[in-house]
Amino acid sequence: MKLVVKGVTVTLGSRDVLKGVTFEVGEGELLALLGPNGSGKTTMLRTIFGMLKPLKGVVLLDGKKIGSAEEAARKLGFLPQDTPLANLKVIDIVMLGRTPYLSGLKRPGDEDYRAAMEALREVGMEDMADRIFSELSGGERQKVMLARVFAQQPEVMLLDEPTAHLDIAAQIEIMEIIRSKVEEGKAAIVAIHDINLASSFATRILMVKNGKVAYAGRPEDVINEESIRNVFGADVVVRRYGRGVYIAPKLRVPNGLKRVHVICGGGSGREILHMLREAGYKVSAGVVNVLDSDWEVAAELGEVVDEAPFSPISDSSHRKNVEIIENSDAVVLANLSFGRGNFKNLQAAMHAANLNKLVVVDKTPFEGRNFVGKEAEKLYREILGKAVVVKREEEVLDAVRKLLG
Amino acid sequence: MRFGAAITTLLALNILALMLSLGVGSGGYDYLFQVISGNADDTAMKIVLDYRLPRYLMAIIAGASLSASGCAMQALFRNPLAEPYVLGVASGASVGAALSVALSMETIYSRIGLAFFSALLTAYVVYLIGSSSKFRDQTYAILLAGVAIASFFSGLTSVLIYFSAQSMHKVVFWLMGSFSNPFIEEVFFALPITIAGLAYLLITSWNLNALLLGDEHAAAVGINVERFRKSLIAVVALLTSTTVAISGVIGFVGIIVPHTMRILVGEEHQKLLPSTILLSTAFMPVIDVVARISTSGELPVGAITAMLGGPFFLYLLMRRSV
Repeated sequence: MKLVVKGVTVTLGSRDVLKGVTFEVGEGELLALLGPNGSGKTTMLRTIFGMLKPLKGVVLLDGKKIGSAEEAARKLGFLPQDTPLANLKVIDIVMLGRTPYLSGLKRPGDEDYRAAMEALREVGMEDMADRIFSELSGGERQKVMLARVFAQQPEVMLLDEPTAHLDIAAQIEIMEIIRSKVEEGKAAIVAIHDINLASSFATRILMVKNGKVAYAGRPEDVINEESIRNVFGADVVVRRYGRGVYIAPKLRVPNGLKRVHVICGGGSGREILHMLREAGYKVSAGVVNVLDSDWEVAAELGEVVDEAPFSPISDSSHRKNVEIIENSDAVVLANLSFGRGNFKNLQAAMHAANLNKLVVVDKTPFEGRNFVGKEAEKLYREILGKAVVVKREEEVLDAVRKLLG
Repeated sequence: MRFGAAITTLLALNILALMLSLGVGSGGYDYLFQVISGNADDTAMKIVLDYRLPRYLMAIIAGASLSASGCAMQALFRNPLAEPYVLGVASGASVGAALSVALSMETIYSRIGLAFFSALLTAYVVYLIGSSSKFRDQTYAILLAGVAIASFFSGLTSVLIYFSAQSMHKVVFWLMGSFSNPFIEEVFFALPITIAGLAYLLITSWNLNALLLGDEHAAAVGINVERFRKSLIAVVALLTSTTVAISGVIGFVGIIVPHTMRILVGEEHQKLLPSTILLSTAFMPVIDVVARISTSGELPVGAITAMLGGPFFLYLLMRRSV
């Protein structure tokens, strides 16, 4: 089974809502449609279902155009975004999914009833068949609507924001139900706003912008800071875990603020970075290894000079770090441990101390966190002599304020 | 309430209503029993078969048409207060009837004919204006067009009545609704239209369920919503125009009866619609009997239903949901 959308252009009023959209989905695929409001996701689903006629291009299922509305309803399970609160029983609503299989007199038979009950079982709602739809929770209602789609026994499901307005548990449950249906050999095209959810469940992602396909591919290839900025116009931090991604907003800092650089690593700078950032300073960090917990915080809050995971600081990273230190108004040396790999950070701190803009957090004895040797100890003592020294992270803010006047 | 039990009860009520309708009046049940036992004289035959039977038939025709239409309109507009007259047929028919009086076209047929066609025409105009408006939701545009046109026409009717002061009482009484003295020809005119219309509504009751979930959901299960809406509006316009032309404007039946059955059997239209029809065919003749016997003259049926309608609305308001 294969659904092909080829060069589809749809005009609503005088506006081209879709412009030459081409893609295809096959068995076992869960395609997530991502895009800002008004980018054409809903129009795409409506056009595939046949509610809207394309000006140009075709939608083909197994090489053939879909004829009547009834045929479309047998092959395509379309779930619109909003559902009014009907006072019908759950089973009556699921039975509506059998409409395309009924004859002119619309009298359902035992087979239709069995199909509806089976659909309810698939969404885990078979005990709720006689409940009134409007009295269910949002998540339960959406499961009933999915059961209605399943009762149609479609090849391809077209789901318009099936997780909108639901709590996180219901969102995951709905997506899992959709995924297990897809794994039975169906396909699904799901318009969705939650990028994290999309990347966790989709086999493929289609990013739509202004009615055009901007990016298409596997979630791990498509979801990145650049694509999200281009499509949504939003600045985010993208972090990966396995196949999934986690995106968080990148906070915007007003320009013209004082800039504080934090030399940290291994979680020693996390608290300081947050504190400074909340106090309105523009923050940066370095040199930290990618995936270090300080790196995650720094990437979210500001600029970061980073190094490949578990690698020693290279000369180029060190040079960048020194450059940032020179452009910063103050520098904080966090209570971090030193080994051969990050010894250059101590040298960078010395550079800052010489510029009279260093605050040192000397919380635990240096011997305990020195894995370099005498050389480091001597350098650290020299730094202490030229810097403002505080004993706890909480004191950093006051020290920085004092330093900056 | 179980659907089977509801239907059985309703059928019993219908038989009761039939007995009341054919039995109550001057001469009482004697005439009815004479007709049933086959030894009735001419007077008994005339009173029961020529006077009371058409009256009963017209009452059930009006009741069934109005309540089934109301039920369908409430589903189509997803609005519990939608009634059979939302398409403007009542005001359209009123203008037609008032016009026939104003133009001194004094036969009953000219009044019914003008009322019928102006009601149909009004519904068509309401649909045209509503469906060609720039409103995003055409269904609501139709609803609003109906309200606007109805208020315009009721103003027009008042003006017509004012200028034809002599004969206005006829129109005023007709406007309030009555089953008094229908000709058997009127019944024969209304009966086939009503049976066909109700049959259509009963067959398509499945689609009405889908409409409750919204146009898009209905389309998603393969229903051609645009075509269905058109034919539904046409059938309701035909049913209500027929009734209103003969019996005048009988308000609230299209709201009270469907909502009562919604409370008792639920919203699924395969059960709701037939039980609504059966309740109305028991309810309407009883109201007519009340209208006949409560005063020495005759109270307008529409006035009685309206007096029941007000408190019923309040009851709906007090309920958690409608």
